[in-house]
Amino acid sequence: MSATTAISEAGPVPATTPSATPPSIGTLALRWYRLNQSRLRAIAIGIISLLAFLLVWHLLTTYRVVFFVRFTNVPSPVAVYASFTKAMHDPKFLLHVVLSCRRIFIGFSLAAIVGVPLGLIMGRFRLVHEIVFPVAEVLRPIPAIAWVPMAIMLWPTNEQSIVFITFIGAFFPILLNTLHGMSLVDPVLVRAAQCLGARERSIFREVYFPASLPHIFTGLTVGMGVAWVSLIAAEMISGQYGIGYFTWEAYSLVQYADIALGMIAIGVLGLGSSLLIRGAGQLVMPWRLK
Amino acid sequence: MVRHLPTLSIAMSVTSLALLTAQPVSAETVTLGIGTQDTTTNTVTAGVVIRQLHLLEKYLPKDGKYANIKFELEWQNFTSGPPVTNAMMANKLQIGMMGDYPLIVNGFTFDSNPESKSRLIGVAAYSLSGSGNGIVVHKDSPYYELADLKGKLVSVPFGSAAHGMVLKAMQDRGYSADFFQLVSQSPEVGSTNLQEKKIDAHADFVPFAELLPFRGFARKIFDGVETNLPTWHGIVVRTDFAEKYPEVVVAYMKALIAANQWLRDDPKLAAEKIQEWTGINKEVVYIFLGPGGNMTTDPTIKPALIDAAATDVKVLQNLGRMKEFDPKKWVDDSYIRKAYAEMKLDYDAQLVSTKNYEISGEDVFCKKPIADPRKAGEVWVDEAGIVPFSSAACTLGAYADFKAKGKKINVAYVFDTTRGIKLFADQAFFAVGNGDVAPFLLKKDAEAYAAKISGKVLGFDDAVKASVSGGKT
Repeated sequence: MSATTAISEAGPVPATTPSATPPSIGTLALRWYRLNQSRLRAIAIGIISLLAFLLVWHLLTTYRVVFFVRFTNVPSPVAVYASFTKAMHDPKFLLHVVLSCRRIFIGFSLAAIVGVPLGLIMGRFRLVHEIVFPVAEVLRPIPAIAWVPMAIMLWPTNEQSIVFITFIGAFFPILLNTLHGMSLVDPVLVRAAQCLGARERSIFREVYFPASLPHIFTGLTVGMGVAWVSLIAAEMISGQYGIGYFTWEAYSLVQYADIALGMIAIGVLGLGSSLLIRGAGQLVMPWRLK
Repeated sequence: MVRHLPTLSIAMSVTSLALLTAQPVSAETVTLGIGTQDTTTNTVTAGVVIRQLHLLEKYLPKDGKYANIKFELEWQNFTSGPPVTNAMMANKLQIGMMGDYPLIVNGFTFDSNPESKSRLIGVAAYSLSGSGNGIVVHKDSPYYELADLKGKLVSVPFGSAAHGMVLKAMQDRGYSADFFQLVSQSPEVGSTNLQEKKIDAHADFVPFAELLPFRGFARKIFDGVETNLPTWHGIVVRTDFAEKYPEVVVAYMKALIAANQWLRDDPKLAAEKIQEWTGINKEVVYIFLGPGGNMTTDPTIKPALIDAAATDVKVLQNLGRMKEFDPKKWVDDSYIRKAYAEMKLDYDAQLVSTKNYEISGEDVFCKKPIADPRKAGEVWVDEAGIVPFSSAACTLGAYADFKAKGKKINVAYVFDTTRGIKLFADQAFFAVGNGDVAPFLLKKDAEAYAAKISGKVLGFDDAVKASVSGGKT
């Protein structure tokens, strides 16, 4: 949660910091522009590319293009927008979104709380690695949808089953990336710390953890993505709410525009949560700030 | 490349056909995709039976314009209707089969497809009284009828035939929309949830309302017959394919007729084969498709079914799931009529008949012929086969007799005394008294009947004991 506020503070900072002597608004704007030139450029290009995507989608569906890939029955952006406005007038849609976000948040947080320390410990102690790694490697390739019946049987409530599936999705990328980060820690640094009299706990805190942080954050970003990927499978259980359920229900009633709306909503929410993690990463690792 | 106009594509296909007939050397391969629902037992005669017995290959036209066309059949199996519609829209499948609700969604969805529409060309199986769909609860739960489920969590696959049944049942009884906590779960998810008691009840289509009790953890407390709204499964085709190869569609209808005949010739063998092909227990297949079963296999498109479809459309419109759709315009019975004519069968006679095939023969235990098939019963003895009996009392007596002789019994069937639906005897409630043994699906029906004959309600084991001590009727 602190990450959210951190980003909103970090964003506008360069714009609102005035220099000592009050320069004219023009020079201020110019300075701000120079400072943020590359970021502005990225945003502008990003918007243009999204618009281009929309335009291509619109053209492909309007002219029902068939060129090996067939757009004959793919819903057009206009149809999806109509679904969107309808959904906006339906308080249920917001509930779908809120509940999904909560499930992802809980499942992902648990995965991070379990996955990161476990990865650190596995990277440090060989025995733990030897015990846990084979199990993790066997469980890792199992797709979320295959977990559905087991999740129902394992947990007393459906909400827990759903959170469990998003947890499973996020857990393995986090664990493996943490492990990878640990394996890349320069042993010279560890030995140097030991020579300087550092104890195990200090080595962990001062050497291993910071050194593997970049990989931990890669794991968190990937894990967040996979958690969203698992959402449809997870929310098949819910039977009532969630954006994954919304998409699933649209599929069982063959409503293509609603399916597309569900897909886009998941995409946008996934993007938002990835940005949050990236923001948190920059906050925790200021030395990597561009 | 931009899509061809329909007239243009027809013109092109006609010219390409003309070219083909002009050049007999070059053979053309046409892929025909067929979407089946193997686990949905009442579609098997339209799908898996035709596939396994190679019936379509037998009837496919081979002369005239078809002399140089080789049909490659691509069968795809699904567990519900919507994925079939999806694949049909994408032209991966040309023929598909599904239940009443998914069917009209199919017809409606195709209305906005510029390449092709879909048409209903035949019926796989139906139950005019709505049997087949049902609501089951966990066997240890204290619920015995629909009213007991007030405020409880009930799951049903939304957009399925079972969903329609639940809505109709609620409407009939004047229940408000929030009488149950109704949620959408697919059969796989709902079954597991019921087993784990996460939900209080699960409503589902064929075969789950029978399959889950048969698997031992559920009890049926509501049968679709109580709604008296027909339920059925049908076959749809893409019109672009049907117009191009009408004879192939007719061949498919002939294969369907032949598959029905095969089923009725030897229902026991059919049930065993269907178990082998689909994994649904043969005892469950038999309760649906055997004689006096809860589904009638009949390919004719009966007006009563289309009227029911019109009712279903209204339900979907009220839910805001569908706009204008006229089921009458969506029916095309020309192919099935042609198949009947070419096989020298009378379509119109079959159209007005709503008879199923029934249990018949001689009761070897009570030593009398079977007069009323819907009061009869059957015992499936492991080696001896399926043995018919003239009444529930005789069935239970014979059951005890088989047991005493050390025979292994698969299952016994009886009929609900008032509703006439086939039941698993070991799941039924029996009103016993005055030499009368009357089986019922519902406890409350059995209690009412028991009060009338001043008898009492017994479970299966006690009823068997009572029939042994009480003698034969």
